[in-house]
Amino acid sequence: METPRDRDDRLAEDLRALRPTPHPQFAAELDERVAAGFPRRSRLRLPSFNRLRAVPTRRLLIPAGGLAVLAIAVSTAVIATKDGEKESAGGGGSLLSLTAPASGDSAAAPEEAAPEASSAGSAAAGAEIELSEDSEANLTRLDNRAVERSATLVLGAAPADVADDSAQVFEAVHAHNGIVMRSSTHEGEPGRAGATFELLIPSAKLGDALADLSAIDEVRSRHEATADITAPTVNVTELLRDSKARVDSLLGQLAGAETESEREAVEAELAQERRHRARLRAQLQHLQRRADLSRVLVRIETGAAEESGTGGGTWGVDDAIGDAGQILAVAAAVAVVGLAILGPIALIALLAWLTHRAWVRRERRRVLS
Amino acid sequence: MEQTLVAEAKDAPRAGDLAFDRLYRSSRDDVYAYVAGLLRDEAAAEEVTAAAFERAYRKRNRFDPERGEPRAWLFGIARNAALDELRRRGRQAELTAEPEDVDARALDEGAEHSERRLAVSAALERLEPPERELIALKFFAGLENSEIARVLGIGESNAGTRLHRAMTKLREACDGNA
Repeated sequence: METPRDRDDRLAEDLRALRPTPHPQFAAELDERVAAGFPRRSRLRLPSFNRLRAVPTRRLLIPAGGLAVLAIAVSTAVIATKDGEKESAGGGGSLLSLTAPASGDSAAAPEEAAPEASSAGSAAAGAEIELSEDSEANLTRLDNRAVERSATLVLGAAPADVADDSAQVFEAVHAHNGIVMRSSTHEGEPGRAGATFELLIPSAKLGDALADLSAIDEVRSRHEATADITAPTVNVTELLRDSKARVDSLLGQLAGAETESEREAVEAELAQERRHRARLRAQLQHLQRRADLSRVLVRIETGAAEESGTGGGTWGVDDAIGDAGQILAVAAAVAVVGLAILGPIALIALLAWLTHRAWVRRERRRVLS
Repeated sequence: MEQTLVAEAKDAPRAGDLAFDRLYRSSRDDVYAYVAGLLRDEAAAEEVTAAAFERAYRKRNRFDPERGEPRAWLFGIARNAALDELRRRGRQAELTAEPEDVDARALDEGAEHSERRLAVSAALERLEPPERELIALKFFAGLENSEIARVLGIGESNAGTRLHRAMTKLREACDGNA
């Protein structure tokens, strides 16, 4: 009597006997291909890519990370270099600005302000400067841009040299038609002795003036700044033009007034408009003056150099730390921008890959169902 | 049987190749038998078997021994290749061609055996493709239940249950033929 177990064993034996076996020729060919390492039939594929695919993912992480760091470093260097060039060109306080002094160009106000600005004197200094020619020239060069410039220069000197350096400051200012707004000199021990000067220098000559001032003694720091005041200048100019048109219109009305009361009303309005026009003209003069005359602060210090603040003539540990921080900040910014660009792309690629993989799995399941 | 492909590949540059070579030599006929049992097409089985070994060779350094035996990993690749072939051709496992001439081979082995094996072969044809795949993995490829479970992505007890059901259906089909 055959038991169920005997039947199962016999069925298993029959199934094993029905086991398909590969054709000897196919087996031999496959053996050869395996021994040869499955050479590619197509030569279109790059062997380097094949090798890359064979490398474990973990081994790819180190070179990939190195490449990412290298890309960030190169981008940081490029950006930092560009920033340095901008600061140098814009007169930003740095050591480079000493070797590339500003040209002193500035913009002037529009045509209506030119006559009024021709004698922009300073009551405090008791001097007058002819500005209209420079202003017109600057206006042409800078395409009607009005730029206000300022500079701060710190010189280091021995206490005994303060008086002599101060005299040279006056000479340099006068040589460039500048104005000494305020000055103060202190004598005494190192650290207490010194001098301070508030100057107005014609913007067209600012670069030359700063070069002369820098040559007086050791430069401990130098900072230059610019501010574009084109918008307020243009605005005031247009208001002034409108006011002039209004005055002309009122003058026409006054000529045509037939009654005394009508004439009085027009005259009152005319007086008010003329006051308004005078205020606008004063504003324009002030803007013109800010564009044509650069404010320069010169300080002569004695004592240790670190008292002069940041950005001294020598590059020290503080500067190194500051530069390192700046570089790290730029590197972080580059990394963030890179992630912002690559992140969505990688996410889309990942989603596409996952979708394709899920679809393939579903199709494989469906094949046998 | 090789326990790891990666570990040996780390030890020596050619160790991974040697491990793959041993895996190939021990599994070549089994893989072919499984694929042929699934596809029921000799030419397609040869093509898919070669493709499966090539895929495995290209991925040999990515094999993770913590996720299973190399043999189960290899049969997983072969299964995907076979299913891709079926999918590509737009047909299921029921194909007209036989993997080989079973009838002729059975006749050489005696009347009793030949009659019984013809009945088994016919019963096998009537099984659902997933059941036939289980039979192929177990008796053609010689996999253990744990390896079958790994290949199919199911639990071992589940694999045993399914296999038992498939065998029961096959036995009933054989009885029906008789």
